[in-house]
Amino acid sequence: MSGFARLQLLVYMALRSLWAHKVKSLIVGSLIGFGTMLFVLGTALLDSIEGAIERSVVHSLSGHLQVYSADGKDELAIFGDMTMGGADWGRIDDFAVIDEVISKVDNVEAVVPMGINTAYMTRGSDLERTLGRMREMVRAGQVADARALVPKVKRLVGLLDADLRNQLVIAGEDSAAELKEKLARAERAASDALWATFDSEPLSVLEFLDTRVAPLAGEGRVMFIRYVGTDLGRFAEHFDRLKVVRGEMVPDGRRGILINQKYADRVLKIAAARLLDDLAEAREASIPIEGTAELAAKARRLKTQGGAIELMLDPDDAEALALKLATLLGVETERNGEALDLGVLLELFLTVDDDNAIARHAFFYEQVAPLVDVYPFSVGDVVTIRAWTRNNALKAVNVRVWGTFVFEGLERSELTGAANLLDLMTFRELYGQMTATDRAELEAIRDEVGVEFVGRDNAEDALFGGGDSVEIDIGADDDFDAVAEADLKREKRTMAVSEEFDAEMNRKGLVLNAAIMLEDGDRIAESKAAIAAAAEAAGLKLKVVDWQEASGVLGQLALVVRVILYIAIFIIFAVALVIINNSMLMATMERVREIGTLRAIGAQRGFVMAMFLLETLVLGLIAGGLGALAGAGIVIWLGNVGIPAQNEIMVFIFSGNRLFPTVGAEHLGLGVIIILIVSLVSTWYPARMATRVEPIEAMRGAD
Amino acid sequence: MRHSALALALAAFFATPVADAEPLSAAQMVDLLKEIDDRQRNSGDYKALAFIEQREKDKEKVVYETVIYRRDADDKLMILFLRPKAEAGKGYLRVDENLFIYDPGVGKWERRTERERIGGTDSRRADFDESRLAVEFDPAYVGEAKLGKFPVHHLKLTAKDGVDAAYPVIELWIDKATGNILKAQDFALSGRLMRTAYYPKWRRIESASKGTPVYFPEQIRIYDEVEKENQTLIVMRKVDLDPLPANMFTKAWLESQSR
Repeated sequence: MSGFARLQLLVYMALRSLWAHKVKSLIVGSLIGFGTMLFVLGTALLDSIEGAIERSVVHSLSGHLQVYSADGKDELAIFGDMTMGGADWGRIDDFAVIDEVISKVDNVEAVVPMGINTAYMTRGSDLERTLGRMREMVRAGQVADARALVPKVKRLVGLLDADLRNQLVIAGEDSAAELKEKLARAERAASDALWATFDSEPLSVLEFLDTRVAPLAGEGRVMFIRYVGTDLGRFAEHFDRLKVVRGEMVPDGRRGILINQKYADRVLKIAAARLLDDLAEAREASIPIEGTAELAAKARRLKTQGGAIELMLDPDDAEALALKLATLLGVETERNGEALDLGVLLELFLTVDDDNAIARHAFFYEQVAPLVDVYPFSVGDVVTIRAWTRNNALKAVNVRVWGTFVFEGLERSELTGAANLLDLMTFRELYGQMTATDRAELEAIRDEVGVEFVGRDNAEDALFGGGDSVEIDIGADDDFDAVAEADLKREKRTMAVSEEFDAEMNRKGLVLNAAIMLEDGDRIAESKAAIAAAAEAAGLKLKVVDWQEASGVLGQLALVVRVILYIAIFIIFAVALVIINNSMLMATMERVREIGTLRAIGAQRGFVMAMFLLETLVLGLIAGGLGALAGAGIVIWLGNVGIPAQNEIMVFIFSGNRLFPTVGAEHLGLGVIIILIVSLVSTWYPARMATRVEPIEAMRGAD
Repeated sequence: MRHSALALALAAFFATPVADAEPLSAAQMVDLLKEIDDRQRNSGDYKALAFIEQREKDKEKVVYETVIYRRDADDKLMILFLRPKAEAGKGYLRVDENLFIYDPGVGKWERRTERERIGGTDSRRADFDESRLAVEFDPAYVGEAKLGKFPVHHLKLTAKDGVDAAYPVIELWIDKATGNILKAQDFALSGRLMRTAYYPKWRRIESASKGTPVYFPEQIRIYDEVEKENQTLIVMRKVDLDPLPANMFTKAWLESQSR
């Protein structure tokens, strides 16, 4: 018998057997089909998710690879870690050097310098901010303009006065005296006697209000701001997801900051606006407020925000708004002969439920928002940001907000939404970069003083071991005028960084890390090795990490999901293996006569073996093929409708609001091959058993 | 004359407890703290040229030259940074319980807390301000001890209710012979030791306004007990007790220095 004829016979027998044992074939086939479908679906989804995470990470902040100093004690975490900017990634003293070396490596498209850190901005209380504006006006000689703000100050002082009186009512004896003293200050701040001197001595009036009254009105707000200091031009050129949505890009050679729109909306916005946004968004998605604990808590919090809004209003605006609110709410503007308090109206307005949330949100943005500062600053403003330098000194810089931006497709993601973009020069200033001149100056001051440090271990013996009296009588005092000698007026801020700069100044100097964009993103491992080798050859102590490593836990997410899926598939296939094995074993027992007869008429053991294996192979091919097609069908359907991202983490993982998965021939092919291998392995033992059946056993069976 | 009278009174004050080797009574401890406070207080104004240096592991050294201005009668304090250039014109101003910092680089003020690290060093506002130990703390006697060759009283001070001190618990080692603080340890509310400070030399200068000498530590050596590698050295290089201009302790004055 020829090989082909033999195969034909075997296939025919396999099909006949499968048909003869329909129920068994159906059960085993379903299992095989289900496993294959799951494998195709899972691997296709995973590959799509991995690709999406890569797009999120690589094209928003990390690039394909990142380099940072090998001296860094902590691992690079582009999207932040738990250290609030205190992580030690070492530093690269001169970016130009690494740019030179890495740019020449094959497949490198660009090297983008970076310095990631956290700073903070403060938004003083409304009284502090109003007084601050008045001081600036007075300094600029605009006393009349400053005077125009007096009614607002008086109104704020009136609210403070009322608050202190309320505190006094509930205060115990211990704190009453202190509160009365504070109240006296507030009363003086509201008195005509004080304001009568404003035109002649504006600064001394403001001094009193600034230092003795404003601190009574609370602390204001501290807003932490995470930023990526970078060459903004180069960043925009290579991170194509960056899109400026308001204002403009920071021009080349200028200092400035671009605020992430997500950060502006989630952090900078006043609480009332943020809470209304959330509640209205939920209602638009038909999510009930009352039935959702998180939303109900937000609604309760919103009710308490009236005071903050009231403080921001000018007196005239406050009156006008009270009328509008009364009309909206359908309440009388007077109650018992007294004008209804704006605070009460605002509380009623901010009492939001399922029915009014969307309307209140709209009213807020139409009528209230134009009267208050919804954001602490506008595009075009100069803001003061403060940070602790590497040496823990507090450093403040004024920087212009040129615009706001989003990472396209990731607008809802809070992970990418937390990063703001700052020019490199300002980053260096906030980092506390020192030049050789700076160090020499410090050394000169030390030499002048000439006192040495004493180690802590022997401090007591060194300082008190002599036994002389600790007192020195120097009689008369020193008459000195160090301020005049220092001449502070002529001393300007450090020249370590410049106000305006050219590309070369930007390139030469300190950075903490750098992103590397590759021409071919599929050759990451190869390029990583090549860059590490080039850095080593150039004597640079750098760590090179891929985007997954650089993004910390986030980068490992895909890996974790993949491991979980593989474990699930392994379990399913292991179960399939046991079931197929058992079914085939039982089939073998049932088919002893048939096998014995075949053996008696001359079938060799190899033929029997092939018969069994082929039977499973045919079943695997049919069921696995159908399963793979079903899996592919599901992926194609999902690819058309998209899988919605349920929360902001999912937005990041899906690299957008929906994931549109794709399936490739490799997923189908691999699925079928693996299921065939599983089928063959599970049939191997029963087939071996079958080959051991002797013809005599078939005869015995006949008896 | 007054000087000798004070010395005599102090000698009498310390003689009893030392001779009997018994702890000080509560009242004696309060008197001792009042004496320490009073010695450092000037009834008129106070101006000192101070050098502050901070050393930290693996970091650049930080050095400042500053002028400290005090008007103890009004509880006012100001610290003006002179050098290095990058810091020149920066300043702290204390009015009541509030500490404000001014940065001429941005032309803005910011309110800071009692726990502010002055210039990022291990020093705090209280290290430069008038001493208010008796007003702000209740003392307890820990025991007698020796510091180097100096016999000392070891006291534990706890902040009174409502006092916002940088450290709520302080332990002091006070020289029996002269009544000067030689060592201080500051503790957080949790009981954790935060800083150890040594005062190896105290200087006395005559005050025309007060009539008795004003004391000040020539050096303060602060060892960070959390970041063990960090330490701060403060050197009071010159002290001037002449009256200062009346309108000095204001935001406007501090701003005008760098404008």
